[in-house]
Amino acid sequence: MRLKWKLTLASIKMLFRQKEAIIWSILLPLFMIFLFWFVKFNGLGHIDLGVANHAGEKSAKLLESLKSVKTLKVHEGTEEAELGELEKGEREMVLVIPESFNPAATSSLTAFVNDAKPQEAQLGALLLQRVMDELAFEQSSSLGRAIIKTQPMKSRNLTYIDFLVPGILSMSIMQMGIFGVAFSFVSLKKRGILRRLWVTPMNPNDFILAQVATRLIVVMMQITVMIAVGYFFFDLHFIGSVVNLFLVGMLGAVVFLAMGFALAGVSKSEDQVAPLANIIAMPMMLLSGVFFSRSNLPGFIHVVTDYFPLTYLADAMRSIAIDGSSLIQVGPQLIGLAVWCVISCFVAVKMFRWE
Amino acid sequence: MNETILDVKNLTKRYGDLLAVDGVTFNVARKEIFGILGPNGAGKTSTLEMIETLRPIDGGEVFLNGLDVRKGPQAVKRLIGVQLQSSSFFDKLNLKELLLLFGEMYDRVVDPVALLREVELEDKVKSQVGQLSGGQKQRFSIAAALVNEPLVIFLDEPTTGLDPQSRRHLWGVIKRIRSEGKTIVLTTHYMEEAEELCDRVAIMDQGKIIALAPPQELITRLLARGFKKERVERLANLEDVFLNLTGHILRED
Repeated sequence: MRLKWKLTLASIKMLFRQKEAIIWSILLPLFMIFLFWFVKFNGLGHIDLGVANHAGEKSAKLLESLKSVKTLKVHEGTEEAELGELEKGEREMVLVIPESFNPAATSSLTAFVNDAKPQEAQLGALLLQRVMDELAFEQSSSLGRAIIKTQPMKSRNLTYIDFLVPGILSMSIMQMGIFGVAFSFVSLKKRGILRRLWVTPMNPNDFILAQVATRLIVVMMQITVMIAVGYFFFDLHFIGSVVNLFLVGMLGAVVFLAMGFALAGVSKSEDQVAPLANIIAMPMMLLSGVFFSRSNLPGFIHVVTDYFPLTYLADAMRSIAIDGSSLIQVGPQLIGLAVWCVISCFVAVKMFRWE
Repeated sequence: MNETILDVKNLTKRYGDLLAVDGVTFNVARKEIFGILGPNGAGKTSTLEMIETLRPIDGGEVFLNGLDVRKGPQAVKRLIGVQLQSSSFFDKLNLKELLLLFGEMYDRVVDPVALLREVELEDKVKSQVGQLSGGQKQRFSIAAALVNEPLVIFLDEPTTGLDPQSRRHLWGVIKRIRSEGKTIVLTTHYMEEAEELCDRVAIMDQGKIIALAPPQELITRLLARGFKKERVERLANLEDVFLNLTGHILRED
């Protein structure tokens, strides 16, 4: 026990004396958050309109016209789901088309708008009204003109930052695990430092354990710093439990650490490990919903990326941080991570070589 | 001869088709400095690494202080101190921290300053390995091999790549450690080093020991066979000139 502790202490000292390692694991993700926040990648310039259609085919024409308006991004769903999205801030407005809707008759439609975004709501209402008017004009059969009544709703107004911070946090856990471990172990191996350790009676597992413990401490630091910076400087709507974030973050970290060890096991030099690590990490970084929602991914890719470990981690971290989910509520993601954990640890044990 | 502390019998190592170590047999007495000489690729390092438990033994037996290396590698590790050829230490720890950590691996609390004094590095307590010169690194690596007060110390090419001053300095350190009652096994391809340090040497070539005796005896045997140097031995050589001009003082800082 004493040796495990001393090894961990020594490895913490070594890590923190490596200034680059700290920059890589903390400052870089913060910089990325700032960068993406600054350029506001989430596509401003359109209004997210939720449509809850109770009128079936009768409103087909109306929906078609709405979709043809470039400024409107139409999302169809149940009234409950769309109002839920409005509450989160994912929609600027939600239009409810009642069962009694009749395109040829005067009717009144209700549009729920996000009260914290009055400008978007106003613009949205105008656009809606214009579509209805044009539709009525085209049909010209009657004087029927649908009236849009707006009704403000409270929204938490989740912003891109709320999406981004847990995503980048999860990504940096992945980077630290895969790249951090793979590179440092390959270097220890190459420079004969590991060989020198194996002529001592030390149990090699103690050494691995100390390395893992050190990285888990870094994960907790990453979580604390990024959530704090997000909360205090970027208006992150954090309502979750930090303890839950720690737990899920560490489970994720173990998955990626094991991948790092597996890579270090098969590689003899840094040149070998770099492309391998990138092949594994890049697709996840781009497709696991770190920077952008996966909702726009084409069907097949969407299904595949559902099973990426980083997808599980990012979804769980986001859900805990922003929706205040409990561990039970992120159960499916935890199961996914646990399965990955078993797979990657198994592979790491099989592939890891000390020399 | 003193009692035997290391007994190597018929040791064999095979890499694919290559028989790197081919039935090597020798023994080392307590408090002896035993040298394994040979050109690169002769099998010196493989021999040493099998004894040090770093490489699986393909054939033969090794007993260290009566312990079978094959059967009890962990127990053997506690009795030996090892300086590996071209191995390094963690970057970001200073010498004191490194020695304390290595001590922990043997469940020992060591006195890092005393160990560093032993190899004349006591003024480098706070330095990191990366800041040391070649000779200092080698001396530190000997200090690290001493943390567990080993019975036998293995030094694999301790002076390769050092300048004449550093090499002589290291010889002094090695002799002093022997005078404190340690047994030392070293490899080298510098003949004058073997002659200066070793009580007995084994000359290895192509995986086999081709001669084993005290250095003077090997020389006497050669002369007895009627050997004559083509050039008559002068009273000094170029190294003597170099050391006379540049002095014996170490220049590492």
